[in-house]
Amino acid sequence: MKNFLKTLIPVDIYKGLKLTGTHFMKVFTTANRRKVKMHVTQEYPEVPVKLAPRFRGRLTMLKDEQGEIKCVCCLACEKICPTQVITIESGKKEGRKTKIPTRYDFEMERCIFCEFCVESCGFDSIILNHQFELAAYNREDFSIGMLGKDQNMFELTHVGKFSYSDED
Amino acid sequence: MFKNEEMEINMGPQHPSTHGVLRLKLRLDGEVVTKCTPCIGYLHRGVEKICENKTFFQGQVWTDRMDYTSAVANNLGWAEAIEKLFGITVPRRALYIRTMLNEFNRLASHLIWLATHGLDIGAMTVFIYTFREREAILDIFEAFCGSRLTTTAFRIGGLREDLPPGMEKMVRNFLATFPDCMNEYETLLSENRIWKKRTVGVGILKAEDAIAMGVTGPVLRAAGVSYDIRKAFPYAAYSEMDFEVPTRTEADTYARYLVRLEEMRQSARIIQQCIDGLPEGPVMAKLPKVLRSEVNEVYHATEAPKGELGYYLVGEKGSVNPYRFHVRAPGFINLQALPKMIEGGLVADVIATIGTLDVVLGEIDR
Repeated sequence: MKNFLKTLIPVDIYKGLKLTGTHFMKVFTTANRRKVKMHVTQEYPEVPVKLAPRFRGRLTMLKDEQGEIKCVCCLACEKICPTQVITIESGKKEGRKTKIPTRYDFEMERCIFCEFCVESCGFDSIILNHQFELAAYNREDFSIGMLGKDQNMFELTHVGKFSYSDED
Repeated sequence: MFKNEEMEINMGPQHPSTHGVLRLKLRLDGEVVTKCTPCIGYLHRGVEKICENKTFFQGQVWTDRMDYTSAVANNLGWAEAIEKLFGITVPRRALYIRTMLNEFNRLASHLIWLATHGLDIGAMTVFIYTFREREAILDIFEAFCGSRLTTTAFRIGGLREDLPPGMEKMVRNFLATFPDCMNEYETLLSENRIWKKRTVGVGILKAEDAIAMGVTGPVLRAAGVSYDIRKAFPYAAYSEMDFEVPTRTEADTYARYLVRLEEMRQSARIIQQCIDGLPEGPVMAKLPKVLRSEVNEVYHATEAPKGELGYYLVGEKGSVNPYRFHVRAPGFINLQALPKMIEGGLVADVIATIGTLDVVLGEIDR
């Protein structure tokens, strides 16, 4: 008898519809108010996304206050890298005691963004920045280094300029 | 004109309900499955062999990519196996944080399971709601280690960094809202007549069969066997935590659904205990610069969201990389119970059974 009544009166379906209906009405009535707690989605391409301070993006080299490259070519990052995407060639510069990299190649297409290189660096000369829109049309765009005008190890690269948020 | 002939069809590897690249060779008699052969290996990357050629530090990044829905649990097993191999003692604060993140990962993995399992059977709403909570968990991962999916969260000997400022508030906010969310899933599914029709009595795997095939995790616990590595062989800080191991005796898809839901509640309990009783102190043990192993071997099992995740490592004298590395992947072992569960059932139940096993092909093929 109880089972029969259960089949006849769809209480379970009513409960489910009530739940979804409540959620829908809450969001519907507060639409276009960005700070309401119910809104869980982000309007990402239009509104820049908020990243955590520890976010692991693209590898970048740092310079000190005098504009000198901090890297001293200890090759720790090259050794620890699990996918071997870093290649360093060291050279000398007048008026500098330590070595200076003449070439610092970073093959981003194979990078897995594990941050082991930054961890191994004893001179705080590299960081992972917050750039995450890293799509490109050409494979060469992923080769980032210190030489040439397209290769930029120090700032945000042109890689990823195709995304919606970078326009205008 | 009409012949009674058995038909062989392929389900997958591009079928949307096979959760990746799982291919099933099904022999059908009408709509009844008479034989099922899972074909795996489409996502094989040779993780075990790669790790043998990498140092102990580097190998961790490949464990992220095995079971990509529970990367933190994989990291934990790897880090603890190597700590066991070298006899490193991890500070207590690091153990607590590891336990907390591992439980968050269990929640994330079970939430994505619930979402896709519901979606396969036809309950789409729950997908939207579970991903809302999963987003909050991934934000916590991002705040802690900078990445959402491939976390590389732990280091050998402890953690890379302490909890970031504001993390405790994030965790507490999550715990405050999570029980209500659990009630929402229950409202949508537990008593739903369609859900019950699709899951009750489907894909039964009896306890003796499950034990004979080495099946672990929620699938085993739904058959009435109370076996949980967290209780049986405590690791990390689980010996200090107060939680229960939920079991059911029906051994069907609905029982496994209830077991996983109860596990999520217990996980929230463990996180609460971790964040309340977080001890002070360092998070990293003192380590030598290069880890060189002796001739020894170690097997370390952890309770990943899907079952017993075991790492087997063999060391070589003076070597910086393992001589042999083997993963006992829970999904791989659980998958061999699939033919037993679906033979004699209907084709439509195959979908429900794959969903309930919670297969992730990245882990099965490795």
